[in-house]
Amino acid sequence: MGTSHKGCAMAYNVLIVDDSKSMRKVLLKTLQLSGFCLGECLEASNGQEALEILEGRWIDLILSDVHMPVMDGIGFIQSLRDKDICGDTPVVFVTTEANEERLNQLMNLGASGYIRKPFRPEEIGALLSRIMGETDDFRMARSVEGCDF
Amino acid sequence: MISGWQEVLKDVISDVLETMFFSMVEFGDCGPADGGFDFGSEIQLLNHTGRTAISLRVSEIFARMITANFLGIEESQVTDDDLSDSLKELANMVGGGYHARIKEAGWRLGMPKVWKIDPGSVDTTQLAGELDFGFFGEPAGSAVVNQLPD
Repeated sequence: MGTSHKGCAMAYNVLIVDDSKSMRKVLLKTLQLSGFCLGECLEASNGQEALEILEGRWIDLILSDVHMPVMDGIGFIQSLRDKDICGDTPVVFVTTEANEERLNQLMNLGASGYIRKPFRPEEIGALLSRIMGETDDFRMARSVEGCDF
Repeated sequence: MISGWQEVLKDVISDVLETMFFSMVEFGDCGPADGGFDFGSEIQLLNHTGRTAISLRVSEIFARMITANFLGIEESQVTDDDLSDSLKELANMVGGGYHARIKEAGWRLGMPKVWKIDPGSVDTTQLAGELDFGFFGEPAGSAVVNQLPD
């Protein structure tokens, strides 16, 4: 779990869902470097664990892998929408998936977008800020101001 | 001789290593490591007609270095779990990138796996004409694409 909300008027709580502990670490670090307004960051190793976390926590944005054991990304977003958990909370998939049919399936199930691995921090920051309704100018200004690397 | 799959794989491996693992490798000329490589990782592309395996083998030195880069930690802090996890991610991203570039519909990615190579073992992937890559002139790893029988 981590926080990083330097210079933000509003920080977003993010849930990272990935079966790889390393990938969760990398995503957290990427969010911190991207200029995205990160509040609290929670982690789950599959869709089922994520659903349990979402029962009791307010999350503004979900970043999820697609290929996971126990409950994969498709099962996860289906459950979210079927059970109306977290209403309109944006779900963004971070994936190596190249199959257009499966990517379309994710979008049709209500995903807000997807990021293909390998990715660069600025791509993630730009997409997430757009999804959260921030302008690029605002994000860039904050990114430079809050830069500590 | 460089074949079609090798050209695709060179492009994918360079992209993944540079973007996520902050490492640049050179292809060819470096040859295989003297004592063979230390870790293998593999991912399969599957469809209704068959399976294609993308296999990577890397030296422990290279594996530790890219894992440290990937996680943003010192090499001395890399645990065996970190190493295994990051080599799985490497195979996953190489498999996804390969799939994206060959643009064949209907394929899906399997789950990546990683293993420690027994120094005395015979590695059958060597028979298929692998793609060697090195790091600062030292052998770092090799990759191969194989069609598997059903």
